[in-house]
Amino acid sequence: MLSELLQGNNTGDFLLLADSCSCSARNLLKSVVVSALNREESVHVLGFETSEEELNQTLNSSLTQRLHFHNAYSDPLGWTDHSAFTVDQFTSEQITHLIKRTVHSKPPLLVIDSLSWILRHASPLAVCRTLQQLKKGGAVRAVVGLLHADMHQRGTVGSVRHLASSVVSISPALKGDEAVAKITKRSKSGKVTQDEVTFSINGDLTLTIHSKQNPPSLKPTEPEEQQTDPTAHLTFNLRLSDAERQAKEKLSLPFVFSKEKKTALLHSTQGSGRILYEPDANDDFDQEDPDDDLDV
Amino acid sequence: MFTELNSILNASPDSFTQGEFILVSVQHSDASFLIHHFLSFYLRARSRVCFLALVQSFSHYSAVSQRLGVNLTQAKDKGQLIFLEGLKESLSHLIPQEERTGSEAMDFLRDPAGGLRSLYQFVHSSLTHSGGGEMVEEEEAWGSPVLLVDDLSVLMSLGVSAGAVLDFSHYCRAMVCSQLQGNMVALVRCSSEEEEDEGDAEGSEWLRRGLTHQCSLTLHVQGLSTGYCRDIHGQDFVNFLLNDVPKTLDFPTRPKAVSERPDFCLTLWAL
Repeated sequence: MLSELLQGNNTGDFLLLADSCSCSARNLLKSVVVSALNREESVHVLGFETSEEELNQTLNSSLTQRLHFHNAYSDPLGWTDHSAFTVDQFTSEQITHLIKRTVHSKPPLLVIDSLSWILRHASPLAVCRTLQQLKKGGAVRAVVGLLHADMHQRGTVGSVRHLASSVVSISPALKGDEAVAKITKRSKSGKVTQDEVTFSINGDLTLTIHSKQNPPSLKPTEPEEQQTDPTAHLTFNLRLSDAERQAKEKLSLPFVFSKEKKTALLHSTQGSGRILYEPDANDDFDQEDPDDDLDV
Repeated sequence: MFTELNSILNASPDSFTQGEFILVSVQHSDASFLIHHFLSFYLRARSRVCFLALVQSFSHYSAVSQRLGVNLTQAKDKGQLIFLEGLKESLSHLIPQEERTGSEAMDFLRDPAGGLRSLYQFVHSSLTHSGGGEMVEEEEAWGSPVLLVDDLSVLMSLGVSAGAVLDFSHYCRAMVCSQLQGNMVALVRCSSEEEEDEGDAEGSEWLRRGLTHQCSLTLHVQGLSTGYCRDIHGQDFVNFLLNDVPKTLDFPTRPKAVSERPDFCLTLWAL
Protein backbone atom coordinates (compact mmCIF):
# COMPACT_ATOMS: atom_id res chain seq x y z
CA MET A 1 0.00 0.00 0.00
CA LEU A 2 2.93 2.31 0.68
CA SER A 3 4.10 2.25 -2.93
CA GLU A 4 0.61 3.02 -4.21
CA LEU A 5 0.33 5.94 -1.83
CA LEU A 6 3.59 7.38 -3.03
CA GLN A 7 2.48 6.96 -6.61
CA GLY A 8 -0.87 8.50 -5.72
CA ASN A 9 -2.82 10.06 -8.52
CA ASN A 10 -5.96 11.13 -6.75
CA THR A 11 -7.08 14.72 -6.59
CA GLY A 12 -7.82 16.43 -3.32
CA ASP A 13 -5.64 14.07 -1.31
CA PHE A 14 -3.63 15.06 1.72
CA LEU A 15 -0.82 12.65 2.57
CA LEU A 16 0.69 13.16 6.02
CA LEU A 17 4.12 11.75 6.91
CA ALA A 18 4.52 11.67 10.68
CA ASP A 19 7.90 11.04 12.27
CA SER A 20 9.73 11.49 15.55
CA CYS A 21 13.27 12.35 16.54
CA SER A 22 14.22 8.67 16.66
CA CYS A 23 13.37 8.19 13.01
CA SER A 24 13.15 10.89 10.35
CA ALA A 25 10.72 10.75 7.44
CA ARG A 26 12.55 13.33 5.36
CA ASN A 27 14.01 10.74 2.98
CA LEU A 28 10.54 9.30 2.49
CA LEU A 29 9.31 12.80 1.67
CA LYS A 30 12.12 13.19 -0.87
CA SER A 31 11.08 9.82 -2.32
CA VAL A 32 7.54 11.16 -2.81
CA VAL A 33 8.96 14.21 -4.59
CA VAL A 34 11.13 12.06 -6.87
CA SER A 35 8.31 9.71 -7.83
CA ALA A 36 6.06 12.68 -8.67
CA LEU A 37 8.79 14.27 -10.79
CA ASN A 38 9.34 10.97 -12.56
CA ARG A 39 5.64 10.90 -13.43
CA GLU A 40 6.14 14.21 -15.24
CA GLU A 41 4.29 16.06 -12.56
CA SER A 42 5.22 19.54 -11.35
CA VAL A 43 6.08 19.83 -7.70
CA HIS A 44 6.03 22.94 -5.53
CA VAL A 45 7.99 22.61 -2.28
CA LEU A 46 7.55 24.97 0.68
CA GLY A 47 10.93 24.38 2.28
CA PHE A 48 11.07 25.54 5.90
CA GLU A 49 13.50 22.93 7.17
CA THR A 50 15.70 22.08 4.21
CA SER A 51 17.59 24.25 1.80
CA GLU A 52 17.17 24.06 -1.94
CA GLU A 53 20.74 22.83 -2.35
CA GLU A 54 20.15 19.98 0.06
CA LEU A 55 17.09 18.87 -1.89
CA ASN A 56 18.67 19.30 -5.33
CA GLN A 57 21.73 17.31 -4.30
CA THR A 58 19.73 14.12 -4.38
CA LEU A 59 17.90 14.79 -7.64
CA ASN A 60 18.83 14.32 -11.27
CA SER A 61 19.35 17.58 -13.08
CA SER A 62 16.67 16.64 -15.60
CA LEU A 63 14.08 16.43 -12.87
CA THR A 64 14.82 19.77 -11.26
CA GLN A 65 13.13 21.64 -14.11
CA ARG A 66 9.71 20.62 -12.85
CA LEU A 67 10.63 21.31 -9.22
CA HIS A 68 9.73 24.74 -7.87
CA PHE A 69 11.34 25.38 -4.50
CA HIS A 70 10.01 28.22 -2.36
CA ASN A 71 12.74 29.18 0.05
CA ALA A 72 11.26 29.48 3.52
CA TYR A 73 14.48 28.15 5.03
CA SER A 74 16.80 31.14 5.00
CA ASP A 75 14.49 33.65 6.60
CA PRO A 76 11.11 32.31 7.62
CA LEU A 77 10.45 35.00 10.23
CA GLY A 78 11.50 38.03 8.24
CA TRP A 79 14.60 38.86 10.31
CA THR A 80 16.44 40.11 7.25
CA ASP A 81 15.15 42.38 4.54
CA HIS A 82 15.24 39.85 1.76
CA SER A 83 12.98 37.03 2.68
CA ALA A 84 11.56 34.79 -0.02
CA PHE A 85 8.74 33.21 1.95
CA THR A 86 7.78 33.75 5.56
CA VAL A 87 5.59 31.68 7.80
CA ASP A 88 2.97 34.46 7.76
CA GLN A 89 2.50 33.82 4.08
CA PHE A 90 1.12 30.36 4.74
CA THR A 91 -2.46 31.09 3.72
CA SER A 92 -4.39 29.45 0.92
CA GLU A 93 -4.68 32.74 -1.01
CA GLN A 94 -0.97 33.45 -0.96
CA ILE A 95 0.02 29.88 -1.77
CA THR A 96 -2.48 29.70 -4.63
CA HIS A 97 -1.08 32.97 -5.94
CA LEU A 98 2.45 31.61 -5.61
CA ILE A 99 1.61 28.48 -7.54
CA LYS A 100 -0.29 30.30 -10.28
CA ARG A 101 2.79 32.41 -10.98
CA THR A 102 4.12 29.38 -12.86
CA VAL A 103 2.18 27.91 -15.75
CA HIS A 104 1.32 24.23 -15.47
CA SER A 105 -0.50 21.86 -17.77
CA LYS A 106 -2.22 20.26 -14.79
CA PRO A 107 -2.41 21.13 -11.10
CA PRO A 108 0.90 20.42 -9.36
CA LEU A 109 1.71 18.59 -6.19
CA LEU A 110 2.34 20.75 -3.11
CA VAL A 111 4.92 19.47 -0.63
CA ILE A 112 5.30 21.12 2.79
CA ASP A 113 8.55 20.57 4.74
CA SER A 114 7.53 20.84 7.40
CA LEU A 115 4.12 21.41 8.93
CA SER A 116 5.74 21.38 12.38
CA TRP A 117 7.58 24.61 11.60
CA ILE A 118 4.33 26.29 10.64
CA LEU A 119 2.44 24.90 13.63
CA ARG A 120 5.07 26.39 15.96
CA HIS A 121 4.32 29.87 14.68
CA ALA A 122 0.70 29.78 13.63
CA SER A 123 -2.39 28.55 15.39
CA PRO A 124 -3.40 24.95 14.63
CA LEU A 125 -6.85 26.26 13.63
CA ALA A 126 -5.45 28.54 10.95
CA VAL A 127 -3.11 25.84 9.65
CA CYS A 128 -5.87 23.25 9.43
CA ARG A 129 -8.15 25.74 7.69
CA THR A 130 -5.46 26.53 5.13
CA LEU A 131 -4.78 22.83 4.52
CA GLN A 132 -8.48 22.14 4.01
CA GLN A 133 -8.82 25.06 1.60
CA LEU A 134 -5.78 23.89 -0.35
CA LYS A 135 -7.19 20.38 -0.56
CA LYS A 136 -10.49 21.54 -1.96
CA GLY A 137 -9.30 24.64 -3.78
CA GLY A 138 -8.22 23.02 -7.00
CA ALA A 139 -4.99 24.98 -7.36
CA VAL A 140 -3.01 21.91 -6.35
CA ARG A 141 -3.71 18.30 -7.16
CA ALA A 142 -2.70 17.03 -3.75
CA VAL A 143 -0.82 18.08 -0.63
CA VAL A 144 1.98 16.15 1.08
CA GLY A 145 3.10 17.32 4.52
CA LEU A 146 5.81 16.27 6.94
CA LEU A 147 4.96 16.48 10.65
CA HIS A 148 7.20 15.84 13.66
CA ALA A 149 4.59 14.21 15.82
CA ASP A 150 6.65 14.42 19.03
CA MET A 151 6.83 18.22 18.85
CA HIS A 152 3.16 19.01 19.30
CA GLN A 153 0.33 18.34 21.65
CA ARG A 154 -1.70 15.24 21.00
CA GLY A 155 -4.73 17.35 20.10
CA THR A 156 -2.87 19.25 17.42
CA VAL A 157 -1.41 16.09 15.92
CA GLY A 158 -4.84 14.48 16.05
CA SER A 159 -6.46 17.40 14.21
CA VAL A 160 -3.94 17.32 11.40
CA ARG A 161 -4.17 13.53 11.15
CA HIS A 162 -7.92 13.82 10.89
CA LEU A 163 -7.62 16.18 7.94
CA ALA A 164 -5.36 13.80 6.08
CA SER A 165 -6.72 11.25 3.65
CA SER A 166 -3.69 9.04 4.32
CA VAL A 167 -1.28 9.01 7.25
CA VAL A 168 2.08 7.24 7.26
CA SER A 169 3.75 7.07 10.70
CA ILE A 170 7.42 6.16 10.73
CA SER A 171 9.22 4.40 13.52
CA PRO A 172 12.63 2.74 13.69
CA ALA A 173 12.89 -0.94 12.76
CA LEU A 174 15.16 -3.50 14.37
CA LYS A 175 17.60 -3.31 11.49
CA GLY A 176 19.57 -0.11 11.29
CA ASP A 177 18.81 1.05 7.78
CA GLU A 178 15.13 0.08 7.72
CA ALA A 179 12.03 1.71 9.14
CA VAL A 180 8.52 0.60 9.95
CA ALA A 181 5.64 2.49 8.38
CA LYS A 182 2.12 2.30 9.81
CA ILE A 183 -0.28 3.39 7.12
CA THR A 184 -3.87 4.50 7.57
CA LYS A 185 -5.83 5.29 4.46
CA ARG A 186 -9.29 6.84 4.36
CA SER A 187 -11.05 6.48 1.05
CA LYS A 188 -13.75 8.88 -0.13
CA SER A 189 -16.42 6.32 0.65
CA GLY A 190 -15.35 6.41 4.27
CA LYS A 191 -13.66 3.02 4.37
CA VAL A 192 -10.48 2.92 6.45
CA THR A 193 -7.69 0.50 5.63
CA GLN A 194 -4.57 -0.02 7.68
CA ASP A 195 -1.27 -1.61 6.88
CA GLU A 196 2.20 -1.96 8.31
CA VAL A 197 5.35 -2.46 6.27
CA THR A 198 9.09 -2.43 6.77
CA PHE A 199 10.91 -0.41 4.16
CA SER A 200 14.14 1.31 3.32
CA ILE A 201 15.08 4.16 1.02
CA ASN A 202 17.81 3.55 -1.52
CA GLY A 203 20.48 6.00 -2.58
CA ASP A 204 18.45 7.13 -5.60
CA LEU A 205 15.44 7.78 -3.32
CA THR A 206 13.45 4.80 -4.54
CA LEU A 207 11.53 2.72 -2.06
CA THR A 208 12.23 -0.91 -1.19
CA ILE A 209 9.57 -2.78 0.75
CA HIS A 210 11.09 -5.54 2.88
CA SER A 211 8.21 -7.26 4.55
CA LYS A 212 4.51 -6.78 4.83
CA GLN A 213 2.94 -7.45 8.16
CA ASN A 214 -0.78 -8.16 8.44
CA PRO A 215 -2.74 -5.46 10.21
CA PRO A 216 -3.70 -6.42 13.76
CA SER A 217 -7.41 -6.94 12.97
CA LEU A 218 -6.76 -9.58 10.35
CA LYS A 219 -4.19 -11.65 12.21
CA PRO A 220 -4.67 -15.30 11.17
CA THR A 221 -4.93 -17.86 13.97
CA GLU A 222 -1.53 -19.35 14.34
CA PRO A 223 -1.31 -23.10 14.60
CA GLU A 224 -0.35 -24.16 18.09
CA GLU A 225 3.31 -24.60 18.49
CA GLN A 226 4.48 -28.15 18.61
CA GLN A 227 5.19 -29.08 22.18
CA THR A 228 8.82 -29.88 22.43
CA ASP A 229 9.37 -33.35 23.74
CA PRO A 230 11.34 -33.04 26.97
CA THR A 231 12.50 -36.63 26.84
CA ALA A 232 14.05 -36.21 23.43
CA HIS A 233 17.71 -35.49 24.06
CA LEU A 234 18.52 -36.95 27.44
CA THR A 235 21.37 -39.22 28.40
CA PHE A 236 19.10 -41.38 30.52
CA ASN A 237 15.91 -43.23 29.67
CA LEU A 238 12.64 -41.77 30.88
CA ARG A 239 10.36 -43.84 28.75
CA LEU A 240 8.47 -46.94 29.81
CA SER A 241 8.01 -50.11 27.85
CA ASP A 242 4.56 -51.75 27.85
CA ALA A 243 5.47 -54.43 30.39
CA GLU A 244 6.95 -51.82 32.71
CA ARG A 245 3.83 -49.67 32.40
CA GLN A 246 1.57 -52.56 33.33
CA ALA A 247 3.69 -53.47 36.31
CA LYS A 248 3.59 -49.86 37.44
CA GLU A 249 -0.17 -49.69 37.22
CA LYS A 250 -0.55 -52.91 39.18
CA LEU A 251 1.57 -51.71 42.01
CA SER A 252 -0.41 -50.68 45.04
CA LEU A 253 1.14 -47.92 47.03
CA PRO A 254 1.67 -48.53 50.73
CA PHE A 255 -0.42 -45.76 52.24
CA VAL A 256 -3.18 -45.55 49.71
CA PHE A 257 -6.30 -47.33 50.91
CA SER A 258 -7.78 -49.60 48.31
CA LYS A 259 -11.02 -51.40 49.02
CA GLU A 260 -9.35 -54.68 49.91
CA LYS A 261 -6.99 -53.10 52.32
CA LYS A 262 -9.75 -51.16 54.00
CA THR A 263 -11.93 -54.18 54.67
CA ALA A 264 -8.92 -56.14 55.90
CA LEU A 265 -8.12 -53.46 58.39
CA LEU A 266 -11.66 -52.63 59.47
CA HIS A 267 -12.81 -56.13 59.98
CA SER A 268 -9.92 -57.26 62.04
CA THR A 269 -9.26 -60.97 62.48
CA GLN A 270 -10.32 -62.81 65.58
CA GLY A 271 -8.10 -62.47 68.52
CA SER A 272 -6.79 -59.08 67.87
CA GLY A 273 -7.85 -56.33 70.18
CA ARG A 274 -10.99 -54.38 69.72
CA ILE A 275 -11.28 -50.79 70.58
CA LEU A 276 -14.39 -49.65 72.37
CA TYR A 277 -14.94 -45.97 72.64
CA GLU A 278 -17.50 -44.41 74.91
CA PRO A 279 -17.55 -40.67 74.73
CA ASP A 280 -17.18 -39.02 78.07
CA ALA A 281 -19.32 -36.11 79.21
CA ASN A 282 -16.35 -33.87 78.84
CA ASP A 283 -15.73 -34.92 75.32
CA ASP A 284 -16.53 -32.39 72.76
CA PHE A 285 -18.51 -33.77 69.87
CA ASP A 286 -17.83 -31.12 67.35
CA GLN A 287 -20.30 -31.19 64.52
CA GLU A 288 -17.75 -29.64 62.26
CA ASP A 289 -15.04 -32.02 63.25
CA PRO A 290 -12.77 -32.20 60.24
CA ASP A 291 -12.02 -35.79 61.03
CA ASP A 292 -15.65 -36.68 60.91
CA ASP A 293 -15.77 -37.21 57.25
CA LEU A 294 -13.03 -39.79 57.22
CA ASP A 295 -14.23 -43.00 55.82
CA VAL A 296 -12.40 -45.17 58.28
CA MET B 1 41.27 17.78 21.27
CA PHE B 2 40.97 14.16 22.14
CA THR B 3 42.26 11.92 19.40
CA GLU B 4 40.19 8.98 20.57
CA LEU B 5 37.02 10.97 19.94
CA ASN B 6 38.17 11.75 16.43
CA SER B 7 38.15 8.06 15.61
CA ILE B 8 34.55 7.68 16.77
CA LEU B 9 33.46 10.72 14.86
CA ASN B 10 35.49 9.80 11.78
CA ALA B 11 37.02 13.23 11.66
CA SER B 12 40.41 14.85 11.85
CA PRO B 13 41.46 18.49 11.70
CA ASP B 14 42.57 17.90 8.14
CA SER B 15 39.34 16.39 6.94
CA PHE B 16 35.92 16.65 8.45
CA THR B 17 32.40 16.83 7.03
CA GLN B 18 31.29 20.35 6.34
CA GLY B 19 27.84 21.77 6.73
CA GLU B 20 27.16 19.68 9.84
CA PHE B 21 25.12 20.66 12.85
CA ILE B 22 26.36 18.57 15.77
CA LEU B 23 24.13 18.52 18.83
CA VAL B 24 25.59 17.48 22.18
CA SER B 25 22.73 16.51 24.44
CA VAL B 26 23.57 15.97 28.08
CA GLN B 27 21.62 14.21 30.75
CA HIS B 28 22.72 14.05 34.36
CA SER B 29 26.31 14.51 33.47
CA ASP B 30 29.00 16.96 32.49
CA ALA B 31 29.87 17.05 28.82
CA SER B 32 32.14 20.08 28.89
CA PHE B 33 34.96 17.84 27.67
CA LEU B 34 33.17 17.68 24.31
CA ILE B 35 33.02 21.46 24.06
CA HIS B 36 36.74 21.72 24.83
CA HIS B 37 37.37 18.98 22.28
CA PHE B 38 35.47 20.72 19.50
CA LEU B 39 36.97 24.11 20.34
CA SER B 40 40.53 22.85 20.08
CA PHE B 41 39.63 20.63 17.10
CA TYR B 42 38.31 23.46 14.97
CA LEU B 43 41.02 25.89 16.01
CA ARG B 44 43.59 23.34 14.95
CA ALA B 45 41.73 22.90 11.67
CA ARG B 46 42.27 26.63 11.07
CA SER B 47 38.56 27.36 10.97
CA ARG B 48 37.13 30.70 11.92
CA VAL B 49 35.38 30.03 15.22
CA CYS B 50 32.61 32.07 16.82
CA PHE B 51 32.18 30.84 20.39
CA LEU B 52 29.11 31.86 22.38
CA ALA B 53 30.37 31.03 25.85
CA LEU B 54 27.44 31.59 28.18
CA VAL B 55 28.35 29.43 31.16
CA GLN B 56 32.05 29.87 31.86
CA SER B 57 34.58 32.64 31.72
CA PHE B 58 37.21 33.11 29.04
CA SER B 59 40.00 32.25 31.47
CA HIS B 60 38.39 28.87 32.20
CA TYR B 61 38.24 27.84 28.56
CA SER B 62 41.68 29.27 28.00
CA ALA B 63 43.18 27.23 30.84
CA VAL B 64 41.63 24.00 29.60
CA SER B 65 42.55 24.66 25.99
CA GLN B 66 46.14 25.21 27.02
CA ARG B 67 46.17 21.65 28.41
CA LEU B 68 44.90 20.52 25.02
CA GLY B 69 47.59 22.42 23.20
CA VAL B 70 45.70 25.44 21.89
CA ASN B 71 46.20 29.08 22.85
CA LEU B 72 42.87 30.92 22.94
CA THR B 73 44.34 34.37 23.57
CA GLN B 74 46.54 34.06 20.53
CA ALA B 75 43.66 32.83 18.40
CA LYS B 76 41.57 35.77 19.54
CA ASP B 77 44.30 38.26 18.76
CA LYS B 78 44.82 36.81 15.32
CA GLY B 79 41.13 37.12 14.60
CA GLN B 80 40.55 33.39 14.27
CA LEU B 81 38.40 33.22 17.41
CA ILE B 82 35.47 35.51 18.14
CA PHE B 83 34.62 34.96 21.77
CA LEU B 84 31.38 36.17 23.33
CA GLU B 85 31.92 36.00 27.09
CA GLY B 86 28.32 35.82 28.17
CA LEU B 87 29.01 36.11 31.89
CA LYS B 88 30.96 39.32 31.54
CA GLU B 89 28.70 40.92 28.93
CA SER B 90 25.60 40.20 30.92
CA LEU B 91 26.85 42.31 33.83
CA SER B 92 26.52 45.50 31.84
CA HIS B 93 22.91 44.62 31.13
CA LEU B 94 22.00 43.48 34.60
CA ILE B 95 23.80 46.31 36.40
CA PRO B 96 22.86 49.52 34.59
CA GLN B 97 25.76 51.85 34.05
CA GLU B 98 26.06 55.24 32.44
CA GLU B 99 28.18 54.02 29.59
CA ARG B 100 26.73 51.13 27.77
CA THR B 101 29.68 48.95 27.10
CA GLY B 102 27.82 45.69 26.74
CA SER B 103 27.53 43.90 23.46
CA GLU B 104 24.14 44.09 21.82
CA ALA B 105 24.27 40.33 21.53
CA MET B 106 23.06 40.00 25.08
CA ASP B 107 20.12 42.37 24.55
CA PHE B 108 17.76 39.50 25.10
CA LEU B 109 18.49 39.82 28.81
CA ARG B 110 16.53 43.05 28.89
CA ASP B 111 13.62 41.54 27.01
CA PRO B 112 13.71 37.76 27.06
CA ALA B 113 10.32 37.49 25.40
CA GLY B 114 11.62 39.33 22.38
CA GLY B 115 13.65 36.44 21.12
CA LEU B 116 17.26 36.00 20.11
CA ARG B 117 17.35 38.09 16.95
CA SER B 118 20.13 40.34 18.26
CA LEU B 119 22.23 37.33 19.25
CA TYR B 120 21.78 35.92 15.76
CA GLN B 121 22.85 39.21 14.25
CA PHE B 122 25.99 39.14 16.38
CA VAL B 123 26.81 35.65 15.06
CA HIS B 124 26.01 36.77 11.51
CA SER B 125 28.30 39.77 11.65
CA SER B 126 31.09 37.79 13.34
CA LEU B 127 31.23 35.10 10.73
CA THR B 128 30.43 36.97 7.56
CA HIS B 129 32.58 40.06 7.95
CA SER B 130 36.26 40.06 8.66
CA GLY B 131 37.08 40.68 12.32
CA GLY B 132 37.65 44.21 13.53
CA GLY B 133 41.13 45.53 13.95
CA GLU B 134 44.11 45.25 11.68
CA MET B 135 43.83 43.19 8.59
CA VAL B 136 46.37 40.45 8.93
CA GLU B 137 47.43 38.35 6.01
CA GLU B 138 46.66 35.21 7.89
CA GLU B 139 42.98 36.13 8.15
CA GLU B 140 42.25 35.25 4.60
CA ALA B 141 43.63 31.78 5.12
CA TRP B 142 41.00 30.80 7.68
CA GLY B 143 38.87 27.87 6.67
CA SER B 144 35.11 27.41 6.85
CA PRO B 145 33.37 29.12 9.77
CA VAL B 146 32.30 27.31 12.90
CA LEU B 147 29.76 28.29 15.55
CA LEU B 148 30.07 26.82 19.04
CA VAL B 149 27.39 27.40 21.67
CA ASP B 150 27.81 26.50 25.34
CA ASP B 151 25.07 26.08 26.11
CA LEU B 152 21.56 26.54 24.68
CA SER B 153 19.69 25.44 27.79
CA VAL B 154 20.99 28.36 29.83
CA LEU B 155 19.10 30.68 27.48
CA MET B 156 15.89 29.10 28.66
CA SER B 157 16.79 29.63 32.27
CA LEU B 158 17.34 33.30 31.41
CA GLY B 159 13.72 33.62 30.35
CA VAL B 160 13.92 32.96 26.63
CA SER B 161 11.22 30.62 25.38
CA ALA B 162 12.16 27.24 23.93
CA GLY B 163 10.52 28.23 20.64
CA ALA B 164 12.78 31.28 20.40
CA VAL B 165 15.85 29.11 21.03
CA LEU B 166 14.73 26.76 18.23
CA ASP B 167 14.25 29.74 15.89
CA PHE B 168 17.73 31.00 16.79
CA SER B 169 19.35 27.62 16.14
CA HIS B 170 17.40 27.36 12.85
CA TYR B 171 18.70 30.71 11.64
CA CYS B 172 22.25 29.89 12.74
CA ARG B 173 22.09 26.56 10.95
CA ALA B 174 20.72 28.18 7.78
CA MET B 175 23.52 30.70 7.77
CA VAL B 176 26.49 28.73 9.09
CA CYS B 177 25.83 25.23 7.74
CA SER B 178 23.89 25.79 4.55
CA GLN B 179 24.97 29.20 3.32
CA LEU B 180 28.58 29.29 4.50
CA GLN B 181 29.13 25.50 4.47
CA GLY B 182 30.54 25.69 7.97
CA ASN B 183 29.83 23.63 11.06
CA MET B 184 27.85 24.24 14.18
CA VAL B 185 28.14 22.58 17.58
CA ALA B 186 25.63 23.27 20.33
CA LEU B 187 25.17 21.80 23.76
CA VAL B 188 21.76 21.26 25.33
CA ARG B 189 20.88 19.84 28.72
CA CYS B 190 17.81 17.76 29.19
CA SER B 191 16.04 16.43 32.19
CA SER B 192 15.16 12.81 32.53
CA GLU B 193 11.54 13.42 33.49
CA GLU B 194 9.28 12.92 30.53
CA GLU B 195 6.57 15.53 30.32
CA GLU B 196 3.20 13.92 30.52
CA ASP B 197 1.79 15.56 27.45
CA GLU B 198 4.47 15.92 24.83
CA GLY B 199 4.71 19.45 23.60
CA ASP B 200 2.41 20.73 26.28
CA ALA B 201 5.07 22.38 28.36
CA GLU B 202 7.83 23.65 26.10
CA GLY B 203 10.59 22.52 28.40
CA SER B 204 14.12 21.29 27.99
CA GLU B 205 13.05 17.89 26.69
CA TRP B 206 10.88 19.54 24.01
CA LEU B 207 13.83 21.76 23.07
CA ARG B 208 16.11 18.74 22.82
CA ARG B 209 13.63 17.01 20.50
CA GLY B 210 13.34 20.07 18.30
CA LEU B 211 17.12 20.41 18.07
CA THR B 212 17.46 16.70 17.29
CA HIS B 213 15.15 17.20 14.31
CA GLN B 214 17.32 20.06 13.10
CA CYS B 215 20.78 18.55 13.58
CA SER B 216 22.72 16.11 11.45
CA LEU B 217 24.50 14.35 14.32
CA THR B 218 23.59 13.92 17.98
CA LEU B 219 26.09 13.02 20.64
CA HIS B 220 24.15 12.01 23.69
CA VAL B 221 26.07 12.00 26.94
CA GLN B 222 24.60 10.55 30.09
CA GLY B 223 26.03 9.23 33.29
CA LEU B 224 26.03 5.45 33.54
CA SER B 225 23.65 3.90 36.01
CA THR B 226 26.62 2.74 38.05
CA GLY B 227 27.54 6.36 38.41
CA TYR B 228 30.84 7.63 39.60
CA CYS B 229 33.43 4.94 40.08
CA ARG B 230 37.01 4.66 41.18
CA ASP B 231 39.43 2.17 39.76
CA ILE B 232 41.95 0.10 41.72
CA HIS B 233 44.66 2.66 41.35
CA GLY B 234 42.57 5.20 43.17
CA GLN B 235 42.17 7.44 40.15
CA ASP B 236 38.78 9.02 39.66
CA PHE B 237 36.86 8.00 36.62
CA VAL B 238 33.58 9.35 35.44
CA ASN B 239 31.87 7.17 32.94
CA PHE B 240 29.83 8.44 30.04
CA LEU B 241 27.70 6.85 27.42
CA LEU B 242 28.14 8.30 23.97
CA ASN B 243 25.43 7.66 21.42
CA ASP B 244 25.96 8.95 17.98
CA VAL B 245 22.93 9.23 15.77
CA PRO B 246 24.00 10.02 12.23
CA LYS B 247 20.91 11.68 10.89
CA THR B 248 21.91 11.27 7.27
CA LEU B 249 21.28 7.56 7.60
CA ASP B 250 17.98 8.30 9.37
CA PHE B 251 18.42 5.62 11.98
CA PRO B 252 20.44 5.17 15.21
CA THR B 253 22.80 4.17 17.08
CA ARG B 254 26.03 2.81 18.52
CA PRO B 255 26.59 3.42 22.21
CA LYS B 256 30.11 3.54 23.52
CA ALA B 257 31.45 4.22 26.94
CA VAL B 258 33.88 7.05 27.43
CA SER B 259 35.71 7.88 30.58
CA GLU B 260 37.53 11.03 31.36
CA ARG B 261 40.27 11.43 33.90
CA PRO B 262 40.83 14.69 35.67
CA ASP B 263 44.14 15.13 33.91
CA PHE B 264 42.23 15.27 30.63
CA CYS B 265 43.13 11.92 29.22
CA LEU B 266 40.20 10.35 27.52
CA THR B 267 39.94 6.58 27.37
CA LEU B 268 37.49 4.56 25.41
CA TRP B 269 35.98 1.48 26.91
CA ALA B 270 34.20 -1.21 24.99
CA LEU B 271 30.63 -1.82 26.05
